[in-house]
Amino acid sequence: MKRLSVLLTVLLFSYTVYAGGYRVALQGARMLGMAHAGTAMFNNSEAMFFNPSGVAFLDGQFNFTFGISLVKSNVKYQNEQYLWQAQTENPLGTPFYLYLSYKENEHFYFGMAVYTPYGSTVKWQDGWVGSHLVNKISLKAIYFQPTMVYKMNDYFSISAAFIAATGSVQFNKDVNRFLTDDAGNRTDITLNAEGISGSGYALGFTIRAADRISFGVNYRSKIVFKARYGTAELNDAPVFFPRKDAFEAELPMPAELSVGLALKPFKNLSLAFDVNRTYWSAYKSLNIDFKSKLPDNKMPKNWRDVNTFRIGAEFAFNDNLAVRAGYYYDQSPIPAGYFSPDTPSLDSDNYTFGFTYSHKKFAFDFAFLYVDGKERTDSYNFYKEGLGAPRFEGTYVTNAFVPSFGFNLKL
Amino acid sequence: MKKYIGIIILLAGLLFISCEPEFSNPVDPDNPNVSAGNADFSSYVAIGNSLTAGYSNGTLYLSGQKNSFPKLLADRMAEANGGEFTIPYLEEDVDNIGGLKAGGNVIVPPRLVIDAGEGQVERISREPTQELSPKPGPYNNMGIPGAKIYHYVYHGYGNMANLAAGAANPYYVRIASSPNASVFEDVMAKHPTFFTLWLGNNDVLAYATSGGLGVDQTGNQDVTSYGSHDITDPGVFGFLYNQMLQALTSTGAKGVLATIPDVASIPYFTTVPYNPVPLNSATAQALNQAYAQYNGGLQMAKAAGLITEDEMNKRIIHFHAGRNAVVITDEYLTDLSALGLPSLRQTTRGDLMVLPSAGVIGKPNPQNPALILGITSPLSDRWVLTANEINELRTATAQYNGIIRALAQNYDLAVVDMAGAMEELISGIRLEDGSVYTADYFSGISTLPSLFFSLDGVHPNRKGYVILTNKIIDAINRKYGSTLRKYDPGYFDPDIWILPEN
Repeated sequence: MKRLSVLLTVLLFSYTVYAGGYRVALQGARMLGMAHAGTAMFNNSEAMFFNPSGVAFLDGQFNFTFGISLVKSNVKYQNEQYLWQAQTENPLGTPFYLYLSYKENEHFYFGMAVYTPYGSTVKWQDGWVGSHLVNKISLKAIYFQPTMVYKMNDYFSISAAFIAATGSVQFNKDVNRFLTDDAGNRTDITLNAEGISGSGYALGFTIRAADRISFGVNYRSKIVFKARYGTAELNDAPVFFPRKDAFEAELPMPAELSVGLALKPFKNLSLAFDVNRTYWSAYKSLNIDFKSKLPDNKMPKNWRDVNTFRIGAEFAFNDNLAVRAGYYYDQSPIPAGYFSPDTPSLDSDNYTFGFTYSHKKFAFDFAFLYVDGKERTDSYNFYKEGLGAPRFEGTYVTNAFVPSFGFNLKL
Repeated sequence: MKKYIGIIILLAGLLFISCEPEFSNPVDPDNPNVSAGNADFSSYVAIGNSLTAGYSNGTLYLSGQKNSFPKLLADRMAEANGGEFTIPYLEEDVDNIGGLKAGGNVIVPPRLVIDAGEGQVERISREPTQELSPKPGPYNNMGIPGAKIYHYVYHGYGNMANLAAGAANPYYVRIASSPNASVFEDVMAKHPTFFTLWLGNNDVLAYATSGGLGVDQTGNQDVTSYGSHDITDPGVFGFLYNQMLQALTSTGAKGVLATIPDVASIPYFTTVPYNPVPLNSATAQALNQAYAQYNGGLQMAKAAGLITEDEMNKRIIHFHAGRNAVVITDEYLTDLSALGLPSLRQTTRGDLMVLPSAGVIGKPNPQNPALILGITSPLSDRWVLTANEINELRTATAQYNGIIRALAQNYDLAVVDMAGAMEELISGIRLEDGSVYTADYFSGISTLPSLFFSLDGVHPNRKGYVILTNKIIDAINRKYGSTLRKYDPGYFDPDIWILPEN
């Protein structure tokens, strides 16, 4: 267990936003190759994330999967009226996953999943025009999910899981559009909340009509991260400003309902279709309640529930090599007027491909994802300054390149 | 497994050939694609007073000059074939505290700041670093702080020898092309192809800020008889304004004329209420006792037919528990000194207290510390702009603006309605982007981003000047079909200094 925690610490860098709010849908290199459509497609212990009830239909007594993705995302901003330009300098994101499933007997299966479904690091270039909204934001969340699966017969299984989540948030922005210290350095505030946690659950079932058709449903509950003892620090502030404060804040990791269908029209060909509904309406407002000196900060969000549509295919050449391709469409949860550069989430077309090479007990997965965010001109209308609420307007465009690697062991 | 490592590295390499996303219509800040329309910005000259010079916080300082509306405007004109724009920078004012020294003596004080320790607005307790050393012009920014319209054409306004007598202006002495040049001559020497003309503010403002100490000279065309606090005759204003426009347009120059805002609406007059004195009922009763004799005298004067009942009621001094009006001397009241009755009354809603009165009301009279200013010792005329004086100001301002609009039509020039802008500011301007600016005086950090004025209560702060620049750009673009770009005032620091101690 000590080794595991060391490993997690090393991996827990930062994940980078690229679509769908701050949801990072990179929970399996094998499924990513076919558009991350894994709710009814059971290939390896990635099912522990997509729909744990599917574990009941895996071969082998013991399945282990570990994987990591390298996320390189880019966001660009421009304002046509004032000819402003800016782009992000996001660090490489490294979301990872680790799944274990174990067959106790014909009916009972157990498993453990560790994964990072939410996260985002957005770092805008220094001195950019939206610095009063965000310079850098970094959200990290890690889910630990012990799971139980019950297989009723060859046609039906159900799963139930408990989720313990922990994470941290760091947020830096300038206090307004102009304030500086005496030396002319812009005054900024850093909010830091570590060791925040929450808990939830996941429920799923699978119906296998025949060997050629599976249908799966999985629901993962909302988890609210509550920061009770966040610290706030003002940097480069004028002499008459407070330097430190503490704050409370809440950030929801929204619930997600996934419905999937997998078909096997030919022996070597599998097709998978998924719809994910992410209940982003849980994200009403980001409220930072300062405990003593600073005025409270409310940033209305009013996000809406959105769907992701996924379609993927796998072709198996032989027992050693399978190749995959997929496409999914991701909707932005952000309504007009609420588009803020701290989570520049755009509607996006997503293209994936990948392969798996298997050799006896081992298998290696590779997948590549290209995210093409659709250009959007919008504004954030709820930033308050003085007696007014100046809109922050502009056009955004994003893309991301994500190679993903997975390692499997089956006993 | 080994042979696949190569493939893995190759695929990981895809990450680094990744390209950035592109806009369908990327903006190009280096090539803003701005048109001058049918205006010619190759020689833009700014004609005006302190507002044109970039004066703020009670003085002219280097960073204020750099943020003057003509400079901001010229920077935008530069994108439309605009020419060089020269400014008589106060280069020795390295810390932007402003003011002027001559021969080691401070002749113009430095900027106003907020002394957080004392909780009041004061001049910064530092000596100006700028010497009045001549840097002969002409320059493109010919805004001379304090200049009235007749100063602008006066030969000798830049002569050092006239400084002691008050007939010259140190800011013009500094930059006059020769000792006996006039500012307007220097303007014409730049052969302007485009000009902004904003004169007339001081022709009413000096009267107003002095609390109406001067004389309304309407009807008197002999400017040599004017005192420094007088209202300039609108006839004189119109004559000189017309002369300038004739000269300017004779070579085909185009330009913008700015109207004069109602000076009585600026925070210099609207910040201190007419009834700032809190009293409890015991103190109020004692004070009423003290004024019983004066009030009784008024009754007798009225009975004798010397004053009307209206005037009597206006003059009766009465205090009560709560907030009270101050006692002032009012020269417009009937002179009853023969009866031993001074011309006293209490202020009403129609009177405006000048900003510096905040530092006087309720303080002991320096001549007789037993008396309290504004309560037992009447405030003199200079601390209050009475309803009559406000009337005189508004009449003159309306006449100036009528002249400006008529001449703009005659010469086919653009007009920027600064008078209208001021009206809007009073109730709060909501800009297109949702930001709000008001004509309020500084009242704390939380409303600082919405302030238009600087600490002097007369001149805009940096954000305010940016808003003015945008208004002028609108007027130019509308009239001349140009496409000069505007600024976002939100990103400008208001430049109000708050010092822990001074």
